[in-house]
Amino acid sequence: MNAPSAVEARLPLSQARIPGDVFARMRRENLARWPTGAEVDFAAAVARHQALPPHKRLGWVMREARRQGRCLTQPRGGFGTFALQKELMQALDREGLADIVPTTTDSYTRNEQFHLAQKGVEESERLGRSLLNGYPIVNYGVARAAELIDAIDKPAIMLTGTSMPRLTGEIGFAGGYSGYLGSGIAYTSSYTKELSIEEGIRNYQYLDRLAAMYREHGVDLHRRQPGFLTGTNIPPSIAIVTCVLDLLLAVEQGVRNYGLEMGQTLHLVQDAAAVRACEEICQEYLRRRGYDDVFTPVTLLHWMGAWPHDEAQAAALVAYGGTLAAVAGAASVTTKSTHEAFGIPTPKANAEGLRMTRMAIYLARQLRLDALPELGAEVELIKREVRPVVDKVLEMGDGDVALGAVRAAEAGVLDVPWSPNRWLKSAVMPARDADGCLRILDPGALPIPREVLEVHEEKLRRRAEREGLAYGPDLAVASVYEISEPLATILSDSWARLAS
Amino acid sequence: MSSQPNGAPTVVTGVIGSDTHIVGNRILSMSLEKAGYKVVALGALTPAAEFVKAAVETDADVILVSSLYGQGELDCRGFRELCVEAGLDDILLYVGGNLIVGKHPWETVERMFLDMGFDRAAAPGTRVETVLGWLAQDLAARRRAAQAAG
Repeated sequence: MNAPSAVEARLPLSQARIPGDVFARMRRENLARWPTGAEVDFAAAVARHQALPPHKRLGWVMREARRQGRCLTQPRGGFGTFALQKELMQALDREGLADIVPTTTDSYTRNEQFHLAQKGVEESERLGRSLLNGYPIVNYGVARAAELIDAIDKPAIMLTGTSMPRLTGEIGFAGGYSGYLGSGIAYTSSYTKELSIEEGIRNYQYLDRLAAMYREHGVDLHRRQPGFLTGTNIPPSIAIVTCVLDLLLAVEQGVRNYGLEMGQTLHLVQDAAAVRACEEICQEYLRRRGYDDVFTPVTLLHWMGAWPHDEAQAAALVAYGGTLAAVAGAASVTTKSTHEAFGIPTPKANAEGLRMTRMAIYLARQLRLDALPELGAEVELIKREVRPVVDKVLEMGDGDVALGAVRAAEAGVLDVPWSPNRWLKSAVMPARDADGCLRILDPGALPIPREVLEVHEEKLRRRAEREGLAYGPDLAVASVYEISEPLATILSDSWARLAS
Repeated sequence: MSSQPNGAPTVVTGVIGSDTHIVGNRILSMSLEKAGYKVVALGALTPAAEFVKAAVETDADVILVSSLYGQGELDCRGFRELCVEAGLDDILLYVGGNLIVGKHPWETVERMFLDMGFDRAAAPGTRVETVLGWLAQDLAARRRAAQAAG
């Protein structure tokens, strides 16, 4: 289904830009894989983007938000039929006041199982409710995608949670989507089981080259990296390592507008530190490689781990997530809703999540922690974790990011907690510390200096001691469910018992 | 039933379909092992047929199917029939997670999956201890029934 094509097989893996003639052949082969591929006409697509007003182009909107110091809101959202999807996008735009409107693809599309997606479409249309967990953008094709763009007055981003973005990217960009979330290292390590890091990198080199080709024709698309990874207690440094590597791969293909996403740790200072450290260290590595023209805004995501079932508790996470993003100075925040614990929200609940977040952003609009000494210390700590890992990865590739990433993943030098992918060690184990920050409990084979790891251990041991937990894997497992526990468990109100 | 009546029961675990949500399933598998079960962990992104194949090969007593992404309804249809075709007529089938798209009353969702032939359906947020309790109870009932029959 995702076998490398004959053309690709001849190119050895490297970070180098895909040559024009090779890319043209790759595109022809790719577009022939499903009937709607024939609807993609690059010249018409460029004209379509140029005809969009600036406020419907995500590349422009992200730059403008950063310039004005605004924190934009963007939900997720995808349903299995065109009619439901259009209604959803309009609700998010108009009732949710979303600054960026999403289209999440269904999981069959993510895995390029377009025949299964077709069955899901037919069943959903027959029953009048969505049996798919997203919009099968490839099955519906370019003209329908364009209709969705026309139905809203905001820029639209594709959220496809996939390591196989080549057809969704072609169809979506051609339809007028101006953003695409996904990257080779992050999504392959977090969303796939059998696909190798090498194949994931190759697939996203295609998408990045495609986005860059639009740029070369005057269309500033926004590419984005999902550094939230497996969404399960990812400490900022582990996210940022993948941000830097995926960014460098995209830039080599010619991308210049590339956002970085991280899941919220839920600690105010650590999240602010993560945003600052991410942008600074991305620019640091770009400078080292001679690039000074790459736009790298940072997005924070509402809590990505297990959610509480109590809607009141969930509402607090939604609103607080807006506060965290605004105080951190993030360029945008990706929102959830009070339905998160139950799965995919209704359009109404989704729109409410957006408005709760928006209100919190408004209230926090002037708050920054820049002068706080703890913030500076946390930023430095993160950088001391990121640099040794990234440097080692680059060294292992003899300077080539693609080769380095593949070799480093094999050796566990590049690693992701709770990964479903067989090509990763997934030996690194995170946990939440006594103060509520995410720390590294077991570094696996990550080359993080001992003195830095001692800082983590000291903080985690304090929590283990306070809660009477064994210092070890139990601490990591307890951290997975902590935020979803009932309030009476995490913050007891039984003063009668406490007093006795 | 397991061919070794005195051995540890064998359970097959995995996340069905095109779903990558592995964390809860991995924790469940760890806990089952700790509780003395023989665990065949298939991991994320596992097609229905692979569950059945693994259950046949390991002579499993139970299959635990996880689904978190909403498409469980599509993925789990016909699961019991696949088991029967493979000769696993009596195998215990549990399913759990966020099984269908959207927020629906749990009773509706549970009924849907029991009607598909699952023996138990676990609501979102069900704890490992609950599942361990069900397993002990259901496996004991199976043993009693087997003894009575044999």
